[in-house]
Amino acid sequence: MNLIGKEVTRIDGDQKVTGKAIYGNDIKLNDMLYAACKYTDIVTGKIISIDTSAAEKIPGVKTIALYKDIPGAQKVGPIRQDYLPIVNDEVFFTGDVIAVVAAESREAAFKAADAIKVEYEPYKPLTDPRKAVSPKARLIHPEYKSNIVNHYPLRKGNIKIGFQVADAILTRTYTTGFQEHAYIEPETVTVEPDHSTGGFNIYGSIQNPYTTRKVAAMYMNLPLNRINVIPSVLGGSFGGKDDIINNMVCRAALLCQMTGEPVQMTNSRENSLRESYKRHPYIMNYKVGFTREGRIIAMKIDILADSGAYSSQTFFVTWRSVVQATGPYEIPHVETDIRSVYTNNCYTAAFRGFGSPQIIFAQESLMDEIAVHCELTPLEVRLINGFKQDSITASGQMLSEHKVSLRQVLNTAVEKADFVNKWQANREFIKLPPRYRKGIGLACSYRGCSLGAEGTDVSSAIVSIQADGSLIIITAVSENGQGLQTTMCQIACEILGVPLADAIFLAPQTSTIADGGPTVASRGTIAGGNAINDAAQKLKEDIFEIIKAELKVKALKDTIWKEGMIYTKSGKKPKSALSFKEAVEKALQAGINLSAYGWFKAPDVSWEEETGKGDAYFTYVYGCQIAEVTVDSFTGKISVDQVYAAHDVGQTINLLGAQGQIYGGVVQGMGYACTEDFNISAGEVLSDNFDTYLIPTIQDIPKITPILIENPDKAGPFGAKSLGEPTFELISAAINNALYNAMGVSSAALPLSLEQVFLNHNLKKPERQSMIACKTESSSSLSVISAKTVTPTTLKQALKLLADGKHNILAGGTDLMIKMRNSAETHQVVNIKPLSELQYVSLENDTLQIGSTTTFAEIIANPLVNTHFPVLASACSQIGSTQIRNIATIGGNIVNAAPCADSIPPLIFYDAELSLSSAKGTRTIPMKDFIIKSYHTAIESDEILTAVNIPLPQPPKSFSHYFQLGRRKALNITRISICASLEFDQDKKICNCRIVAGSLLEKPGRLPELEEFIIGRWIDEKLYRDLKYRLNSILNPKIGKRWSASYKIPVFVNLVIAAMADFKKQYSEYKNDQA
Amino acid sequence: MIKLKFTLNNLPQELNVPDNMRLLDILRDELNLTGTKEGCSVGECGACTVLMNGKAVCSCMILSCQVMDTDIETIENAEQDKILKTLQDSFLKTGAVQCGFCTPGMIMSAKALLLENLQPSEEQIKTALEGNLCRCTGYVQIIEAVQMAADILHQDS
Repeated sequence: MNLIGKEVTRIDGDQKVTGKAIYGNDIKLNDMLYAACKYTDIVTGKIISIDTSAAEKIPGVKTIALYKDIPGAQKVGPIRQDYLPIVNDEVFFTGDVIAVVAAESREAAFKAADAIKVEYEPYKPLTDPRKAVSPKARLIHPEYKSNIVNHYPLRKGNIKIGFQVADAILTRTYTTGFQEHAYIEPETVTVEPDHSTGGFNIYGSIQNPYTTRKVAAMYMNLPLNRINVIPSVLGGSFGGKDDIINNMVCRAALLCQMTGEPVQMTNSRENSLRESYKRHPYIMNYKVGFTREGRIIAMKIDILADSGAYSSQTFFVTWRSVVQATGPYEIPHVETDIRSVYTNNCYTAAFRGFGSPQIIFAQESLMDEIAVHCELTPLEVRLINGFKQDSITASGQMLSEHKVSLRQVLNTAVEKADFVNKWQANREFIKLPPRYRKGIGLACSYRGCSLGAEGTDVSSAIVSIQADGSLIIITAVSENGQGLQTTMCQIACEILGVPLADAIFLAPQTSTIADGGPTVASRGTIAGGNAINDAAQKLKEDIFEIIKAELKVKALKDTIWKEGMIYTKSGKKPKSALSFKEAVEKALQAGINLSAYGWFKAPDVSWEEETGKGDAYFTYVYGCQIAEVTVDSFTGKISVDQVYAAHDVGQTINLLGAQGQIYGGVVQGMGYACTEDFNISAGEVLSDNFDTYLIPTIQDIPKITPILIENPDKAGPFGAKSLGEPTFELISAAINNALYNAMGVSSAALPLSLEQVFLNHNLKKPERQSMIACKTESSSSLSVISAKTVTPTTLKQALKLLADGKHNILAGGTDLMIKMRNSAETHQVVNIKPLSELQYVSLENDTLQIGSTTTFAEIIANPLVNTHFPVLASACSQIGSTQIRNIATIGGNIVNAAPCADSIPPLIFYDAELSLSSAKGTRTIPMKDFIIKSYHTAIESDEILTAVNIPLPQPPKSFSHYFQLGRRKALNITRISICASLEFDQDKKICNCRIVAGSLLEKPGRLPELEEFIIGRWIDEKLYRDLKYRLNSILNPKIGKRWSASYKIPVFVNLVIAAMADFKKQYSEYKNDQA
Repeated sequence: MIKLKFTLNNLPQELNVPDNMRLLDILRDELNLTGTKEGCSVGECGACTVLMNGKAVCSCMILSCQVMDTDIETIENAEQDKILKTLQDSFLKTGAVQCGFCTPGMIMSAKALLLENLQPSEEQIKTALEGNLCRCTGYVQIIEAVQMAADILHQDS
């Protein structure tokens, strides 16, 4: 094959690397208006009154839409219509929208939305799914008579008998949390009137254009044919740009109709995190009975899913879970029940995996426990129970129509990773634990391809050959970034034997091609590709009919179509015959239609609602991922070092694309596993931007080995099937099993945050913590800055401006910009960045002098800093990111005085002094006296911090140590830090020491009681034991009542012990060098 | 309003802009250069990365007054710039582009690195790009692309 399975350049790549691709928010139309939403100020309750009068008066505001303005169906939803894009008289979750504004500028729209005043009668939010299921709980949507959205049962065999004959029974409860898609492109839609149809054209970040069209038509009371949805280039979706996009389109379409102008609505990241749907949290009870040889006889599974405020895709998500909850294992007796319930949390819907990652986490973690119980390896227990050819699934389906490759993917991954040897070796270390422990874990899965019994599974394609032989390809399934356009073209071009460069892919408009179903369920290749296959084969046959006489062949199979030529096969050797272009010309001359419609209809599937029996999917894929981790037992931090990912894809089509799906799925899965701890408290979203919702950075990735296994499946084009979701769903279980291997204990909950790993339960901030000084109201989503700036040319001028005490200082801006963005007031800003008087690093009189507007990039590059103040260099090099360090200044960091500010502890550590100037004069103040408390310093409102002066450390030689704990490896908010130095006397006793803690106490500072305790001691096991007690008694009175104390105190103890161990090591290395 | 003078992609610019406008808005709204993207508005994702005086910065965090007399470079400069063009080619070759939304910012951060170092280690590449979030690719092919571009440019030099 020429193109199938090869490395090709993606056909839509040029526009993306040049920045020319048009994403939704890049669209600018004439007279376009901007929309903003007035979100609810409370989580749930009745609306008593809405006052738009102040908002209407804001200049530039064109119209404000309310519930009463909706011309069509006011409630929408994919299965049950319970969602209100604009609410009526009640709100159900924090992302509900009460009114929408259209204005001439984004600024005016946001200001107007903020000016709409609403009065409420709040209800107590119902946020615990376990409470919401109670018959006594308040009904969230009374019209449905129950908070339970659905219940799916699955029954196989006789569970009672199963448990009776089992030798052992394990019962576990697993929980998983919300997850946010966090596509880098926020949601955006643009709606314009189309006067030729009397309806609308809709653009934007749209994953499923037909669903969007359907919902918009319902809402606006229009027939489908008057709405054309034209998706823009999509900046990532992962299932997330479905329902929310439909809801945004409803609002924008309404405003478009009311104003007669195009309307664009783009979410800020905060509004996206607040409003957009999330992955379902699951509470999963597993009871499993097995023989002492490790054979699973019975499994009882009870799952409660949090549907949030609306039902959305819950019916379908939970259906996949009930089908697959047992994992890829043949179990004679199964009883599965899954229920989902309304709460006042964010509503939950489609996200890559769609009900599988949660159950795989539970199921695969449990398998490893069964293995250890039966003294088997994780591989053995899975080989004993895993599907083979013709196995019967939990729903009673015999797996006979495809190659069941579970054992193949398992064995391949295990061999490549040398899994068994490593797994056994790591278990030895549990007996004598070092600080950093290695673990290896695996997880495997099976996954039904495409929609299954969720609904009609069809897809459409058009392959249109132009007169010059160039191709236009269209499918109804659309490009999310996964490489769909390229894959579809590869299939068409392979069949017709033309170079990939001869094809273009035309993004589907709903008016031009039949509804081919949504681009979900990893069905793009299999559904769209089959439709392409259908169309291309038709064309090939039609062209062949015209040219066969000339070629002197009887059957299509006697020809080879490749590289733009059509050869005849004569024995083994092809003979040159016609070019594709010539053949096309002849066909056109003969009056043949060279534009073919392709169609795919999935093979039949079945499902019985009461018993859960049926042939759920027409084919399946199998995957296995292995994770090697290092666990820092002192802090609970998991570092994923290496991942092996083996996936049976049927047939690889787009090789770079397939590898990219594995890399991307593993890394996104790591986020779900470890760092993405979505914080919603009493229904209020506290994870409000990417500083608190942590997705993996480039620094966090492991080495990833993709292993593509190919068992061509008759169900797919060239044998290809699904990959997008399998790559995501496995890694969290593999990491948890690696944790088990490393520590002897695994977690029953995701994410595996620092606290979850260290304490075996999670801790969450009860109130918002962010880098800004002022608290923001949860309903404020201003997103605009109001400022007047002045740039003085001298320091003297600057000080004069500051004399009124009402100005903000702008140097780097990384704190001020955020503060201004969240506040309605107009800030008077003095820009001191260009003042050369404040930007320098120099050594004078044994003192390092750093001008306050020196950036962190400049500081860490400076040899004087690196030589004399390594702790400062180390701390500053870990601030934020390269971009932040290029503009953030040391002065700004100090004066903002965030509790986690990274430059402050080292400056206290080094006894720095600060110079402050005002129009009245200058003064100095020691760093240790400057911080009063978080975000409050001793600076006066008319002063500028002009310099940081640090005395050079004097002999004798002391050793220094710095450690900073963050949840990931870049763009961090420091969790705890320690700066320490030590001097030893001739007897190796500690004779001097200095310890500064950061992000621990009420403000950063030295710990004199700790220092006193350490002086005069040797570094040995006794010191470590005594430190535990002494530190606890020092810290408990100071911070023991904080929500984070149960984590921070023991971890800080560990960090002090680690510092001592490091000093011991440094000392002996120093002595060796001397010798 | 500020009478802003600066250089953009090697061409001098003179614009009257409001005090409260960010560099990101100047590029996207005033100058119709939409290659630079807005992902989070708080400097945490890097989609808005441009070069200011050769250093990577988040343009969503730069206020208009700070742009005065600076040298700004955006993804749109690629036609004229060898480093950008080489990076664009290598990003396509290694499969480093999926949805593409993070791509302009990634390429600009990569250029900033290659301006200083044509033989970066993997660690140095990661540090240069640590402020650019990607949700699609898992970063592996991006690192390969930067390495490939560095090798090509180093050989040419």
